[in-house]
Amino acid sequence: MLRLKEAGLTSTPALRPISDRIVPGEMLAIVGPNGAGKSTLLAMLAGLRQAERGRVELDGRVLDEWSPSELATRRAIVAQQELPSFAWKVRDLVALGGEPSPRRLAGTLEAMQLTSLASRVVTRLSGGEAQRVMIARALCQLAASSEDSEWPRSGGMLLLDEPTSALDIGHQQRLMRLLLRCAHQDGLAIVCVLHDLNLAARYADRVWLLQAGERVAHGRAEEVLTTETITRIFGAELTTLSFSDGRGQALLLER
Amino acid sequence: MSESAIVTDPGGPPDAARHRHRVLCSFVLLLLAALGVAAFSGSVGLSPSLLLGELPSTMDGYVWWQLRLPRLLAAVLIGAILAASGTAMQGLFRNPLADPTLLGIASGAGLAVSAWIVLLGGAGSAWGLYGQFVAGFLGALGITVLVFALGRRAQGGGTLTALLLTGLVLNTLASAAGGLLAFIANDEQLRQLSLWGMGTLAHSLWPGVVAALLVIPPTLILLLRSSHGLDLLQLGEFTAFGAGLDTARLRRGVIVATALGVGLSVALAGIIGFLGLLVPHTLRLWLGPGHRLLMPASMLGGALLLVVTDTLARTLASPAELPVGLLTSLVGGTYFLWLLLRRQIH
Repeated sequence: MLRLKEAGLTSTPALRPISDRIVPGEMLAIVGPNGAGKSTLLAMLAGLRQAERGRVELDGRVLDEWSPSELATRRAIVAQQELPSFAWKVRDLVALGGEPSPRRLAGTLEAMQLTSLASRVVTRLSGGEAQRVMIARALCQLAASSEDSEWPRSGGMLLLDEPTSALDIGHQQRLMRLLLRCAHQDGLAIVCVLHDLNLAARYADRVWLLQAGERVAHGRAEEVLTTETITRIFGAELTTLSFSDGRGQALLLER
Repeated sequence: MSESAIVTDPGGPPDAARHRHRVLCSFVLLLLAALGVAAFSGSVGLSPSLLLGELPSTMDGYVWWQLRLPRLLAAVLIGAILAASGTAMQGLFRNPLADPTLLGIASGAGLAVSAWIVLLGGAGSAWGLYGQFVAGFLGALGITVLVFALGRRAQGGGTLTALLLTGLVLNTLASAAGGLLAFIANDEQLRQLSLWGMGTLAHSLWPGVVAALLVIPPTLILLLRSSHGLDLLQLGEFTAFGAGLDTARLRRGVIVATALGVGLSVALAGIIGFLGLLVPHTLRLWLGPGHRLLMPASMLGGALLLVVTDTLARTLASPAELPVGLLTSLVGGTYFLWLLLRRQIH
């Protein structure tokens, strides 16, 4: 469990203090206008930027006290669309950082529908395939600490920075379903910076809304992503539609 | 989801380890063969019985102990560190065109050597070569320290981009200052300078080679140990941090190793062009981008290439000698051009 106690950043880009906890099994979306500080917040949650006031604790221990390699067994990062400049094979890239056994590697590739691409070179993949590779790598890394399983044990944490930005809607849906399954079935904590409010509204258990370095709203998606709030924060006019299954809502721009 | 695991995977680690072993063993054998040929080639032919038996007091013994053996050692060490540093720099900056002199090591050394030759009149003195060696080494280290210190204070301090830009600027400044010194140099000094710039192993005397033996092997080990970190860095700095990499430490290690190793090579042998770019680039095409194989293979490949080209440099125009740096640039450039055209055609 990640716990923020009045955690914030004072140097630019600054972040007003936040107190909250992110628990295993939940899918949290961080949304906000451009430049609101979403990626900065993600860097603080990851431990890359140390909290300059308050503290961030992972399982009761301040994040700064964890070494990078210790942290790597508990949380993994999928940064924004960053592909290596060299011709890595899918199989070798997925294995980076996790040192998986052949069995676990094959299991991860299979689960992520990458088996047929295992020998392909990552620089020649489509955006959706490449994103799957990066997520598979992160899961493989998290699974490294679970001794006999191919899959990360519950309690691990996955941080993603706009994972859907380069994907068409089919791939977006498959990816969000996969992340939901990782959270709800496998017990991972998923923190996802999302640009697309509709994805956040439909898939996230909770939403944090950021504006100018401050968390201005948080809670369940339908509480946070209301027409008034979105108009106020983003300056966009829209209508909302509810889904018949009662999970989330669709946000439509007014013409 | 764990049920879906497939038990056998043809490309798994055991195969990779075997492959790694095979490649490295082949390189070691090739290097030994090249050293064997190199030992007996040159303007003075030596007989195999000489290697261990002959005393340095005889003419042949002198050639072997005082000239050829230190030179072969220098070729192996310098070839290895240039290629390994090239691999490390390309990995660190995630750019296949990075080379060991990217952060200005060569121009720093060049400026110091120019100062020694032109301002201090070092070329004619009894301490000529040693002074040149010390000046080159200090120049290489000095500019690296400056790049680090200024890079930290520059905008976006501490990032690779800040470092790269600082290196670029200092590189230009040092080259310009070196050019200025060349401008005021007399004919003899100018000739000395341009010979240094071409790169040669002809000045590999024991004191320099002993220094290389002390400095270069530890830097090679440091670079070998950076292989895993360089692999992780290919994921991008943020993701690599997430996978447990201490980026700052890796960067420091690679740059310190490169500055020491390449600084010493440049001081000892001048600028041996293209080797640090060519070897990693070629081997990556062939062996893939993983540094755990690429790094040691580059070391062996660089040593092999420099031993072979230096032997050619000694023998092609015998008894005269070509600067080996000229030869590596010529061979390297031609090969690169061929690679470029061939890849375009396919």
